[in-house]
Amino acid sequence: METISNIFLFTVNHVIFILTCLLFAVYLTLSFISAAALRKYLRKNSYVDYHSIILAPLTPSVSVIAPAYNEERSIVENIRALMSLYYNNFEVIVVNDGSTDGTFNRMMEAYELERVSYFFDYRIPCERIRGVYKSHNRSFKKLTVIDKVNGGKADALNAGINISKKDLICSIDVDSIMEPDALLKMVKPFMEETGKEVIGAGGVIRIANSCVIEDGQIKEIRLPNEFLPRVQVLEYTRAFLLARMAWGKLNGLLLISGALGMFDKEVVIQCGGYSTKTVGEDMELVVRMRRYMAEHKRPYQVVYIPDPLVWTEVPATRKILARQRNRWTRGTLETLRTHKKLFFNYKYGIFGMLGYTYWFFFEWLAPILEFLGYLYFAYLIIVQAVNWSFFLLLLAFVYFFAVFLSTWAVLFEEKTFHKYKNRKDVFRLIGTAFFEPLLYHPLTVWWAMRGNIDYLRGVRSWGHMEREGFGKDKKTKPKADK
Amino acid sequence: MPDIQNLIDNYYHLFSNRIVVLALVIVIVTCIVGMFILLVWILINRNNLKKRLMLGEKLLVHYQTLLIDYLFSDDNAQEMDKIKKIAQSEFSRNILINQMIDLSINLSGEAKTKLRELYVCMGLHQDSIRKVHHRKWHIKIKGFKELSFMDITTVNDAIRKALESKNDILRLEAQLALVRLEKHDPFGFLDHLVHPFTMWEQLNVHELITFHNLIVPDFSRWLNSTNDTVVVFALNMIRVFKQTQAVDCVVETLKHPNTVIRRHAIDVCGEIQLRETLPTLKNRYKDEDYHNGLAIVQAMGKMPDKSILGFLKLVLDKEEDVQLQIEAAMAINKMGDIGTAVLEKLMLSGYKNYQIIIRHVLDKRIN
Repeated sequence: METISNIFLFTVNHVIFILTCLLFAVYLTLSFISAAALRKYLRKNSYVDYHSIILAPLTPSVSVIAPAYNEERSIVENIRALMSLYYNNFEVIVVNDGSTDGTFNRMMEAYELERVSYFFDYRIPCERIRGVYKSHNRSFKKLTVIDKVNGGKADALNAGINISKKDLICSIDVDSIMEPDALLKMVKPFMEETGKEVIGAGGVIRIANSCVIEDGQIKEIRLPNEFLPRVQVLEYTRAFLLARMAWGKLNGLLLISGALGMFDKEVVIQCGGYSTKTVGEDMELVVRMRRYMAEHKRPYQVVYIPDPLVWTEVPATRKILARQRNRWTRGTLETLRTHKKLFFNYKYGIFGMLGYTYWFFFEWLAPILEFLGYLYFAYLIIVQAVNWSFFLLLLAFVYFFAVFLSTWAVLFEEKTFHKYKNRKDVFRLIGTAFFEPLLYHPLTVWWAMRGNIDYLRGVRSWGHMEREGFGKDKKTKPKADK
Repeated sequence: MPDIQNLIDNYYHLFSNRIVVLALVIVIVTCIVGMFILLVWILINRNNLKKRLMLGEKLLVHYQTLLIDYLFSDDNAQEMDKIKKIAQSEFSRNILINQMIDLSINLSGEAKTKLRELYVCMGLHQDSIRKVHHRKWHIKIKGFKELSFMDITTVNDAIRKALESKNDILRLEAQLALVRLEKHDPFGFLDHLVHPFTMWEQLNVHELITFHNLIVPDFSRWLNSTNDTVVVFALNMIRVFKQTQAVDCVVETLKHPNTVIRRHAIDVCGEIQLRETLPTLKNRYKDEDYHNGLAIVQAMGKMPDKSILGFLKLVLDKEEDVQLQIEAAMAINKMGDIGTAVLEKLMLSGYKNYQIIIRHVLDKRIN
């Protein structure tokens, strides 16, 4: 009995330790790849004058699709910001996904909309479209509004794709703030394709909490004052500048954030559009598109753009953040399960061998193992079997590595886009890095566990997302899909 | 079991193993030291950025005044001395070059020549030439840009070598530089281009032609290129610059084996209204893929002609694809009174979705 117990302890100790070391090694490797890729990107693009190409006749056409659900307080301003993007050949499609507030009426009134006889095909299945609306005012010629039965974000995006008349689609959260030149930067990879079809492009999402926003534009960039949004700045910087940049370089990127992504419309349609059966429709679409291209033996690429392209508001309370992370975990699990065929499958190249495998072990399994590690540690304390000196050493190892990695991410931000001009902000950000592993990280592990449990319990809903909202009016704003 | 027990005994105390402990301590110390180094690096980087920004702004204002004085004064030597005094370091010389480039964009004639003379007299062209020969590609590019703006042709051969580079950015910048520097045959590089000429490169060359009022060559010269992307570029340029004299060559391109090239050729036919191609387009419709078929119907819409009315009605009637139906109806609508009469008649028919298609087409708010 004692031997079996020893075998168990031996295995658990070693698995956790080796996995931790492996995880750190992977993070380091990704950071180096990312550093090289970022350097090349910045040098390459320092010569590009995006503004000179705004009116160029050779640029591809783009449909910006923004699903809206109960956005009455900000919808008019958000649409105005979308229509003012710097690009020549684009349309804005706003999909009113069965809002129960005055979203639709606000749009009707502000943009002088009228119902039109729009002939289209349900190339991708979606809930019934009640009507398509255009403005009789030529100033709003770019705008098309769809009114449809509520079906969730993915369904609304599919409706927008059915109406789209352009070559590329750009999906965006209607309450996010796009950089004015974001479309110019996003179409560039599609125009640079040579042997490989570019099927998707995504960019850096920045956090707008505490920033000064006027008329749908960021006027002053500030680091969030509250701890939770600030720690997410650090988290996003690490994820976008260290990890995704590297995965983009390796052509193993599995996720283009739902806040902003650009895709080849035809490939999206051939793949069947966004899946309405998952809460992680953004990741699932990219994985399905990649899989489709690989299975049809069509060389392809998913490109990552390290420029900050869109600003979004992140949850500022534990309750809302917990729901978001819970949903992310369920979305990841659903996608990994749907596409389990990809697991370490050489037929899918780096995407199958590394990309999927990385997500499986490090994004999905690691939090579970970490949680089990906490339980195991609690057990060791109870049975008084903790080697305290070694525990403290391990804790220091994990803690300082985490802080080091965050500091490195801050350096990346400083050397690249240098968005926080105030020196105090940088110190605050690095200061946050010291608290993150102790105060924030255990919470993310717990939320991930809850996500896994909820998935097993069959929870498939988005959960209610409340946001503070940009601008002067700071009342709570509902932002939920069904 | 004893073997397993033995194994565990050997490794169970892994965590008291001196090597493991030492390794962990090394990693911890490295991380702490690394953190401080990164922090110092961040601070130094911020300071440098701030300093360079302030100095750059100061120099920029200074140079602006001095350059304007130089361009419009008679005592050039004195003004040049003043500029030389400031432009000592590499940083300040680079700022000066950038300022000269910015200024040169808005200058022409004598003033531009004078500015170029200053650039050469100050030996700034040597700085640019050194950049062209630099081993780092991004510095080479800077050299290409400076020389092309200042119209220095002495190192064209070195720039030409970059046309063969595997580095797409270097290649693009070499192309752009040569378009401005090669006086006899600015677009000659297209004859020898073996790499794909991406849409991005095409767009940049087009912008260069437009913004700098360069002489537009007869692009039909490249319609027989063995590089398909060059053919696409030529077709795009024929379309944009409406080179109707290229009609015969464009018609030939409609038979090109590459589907994408044929699609571009169809677009050209519509855009520059090559009505003589209508019978060919009509005949080719059934052999083309969906996208080219759609392009044919769209092209027909741009050159309305009674002779294709029957064909368009057939497309509207037989095709199931929504986009094809809409484009066919739009093409009919553009034929004026005859087209409108046809559509009105079709509206009365209960067949297919004619009513909704035609209402869509006639609605000016949609199209």
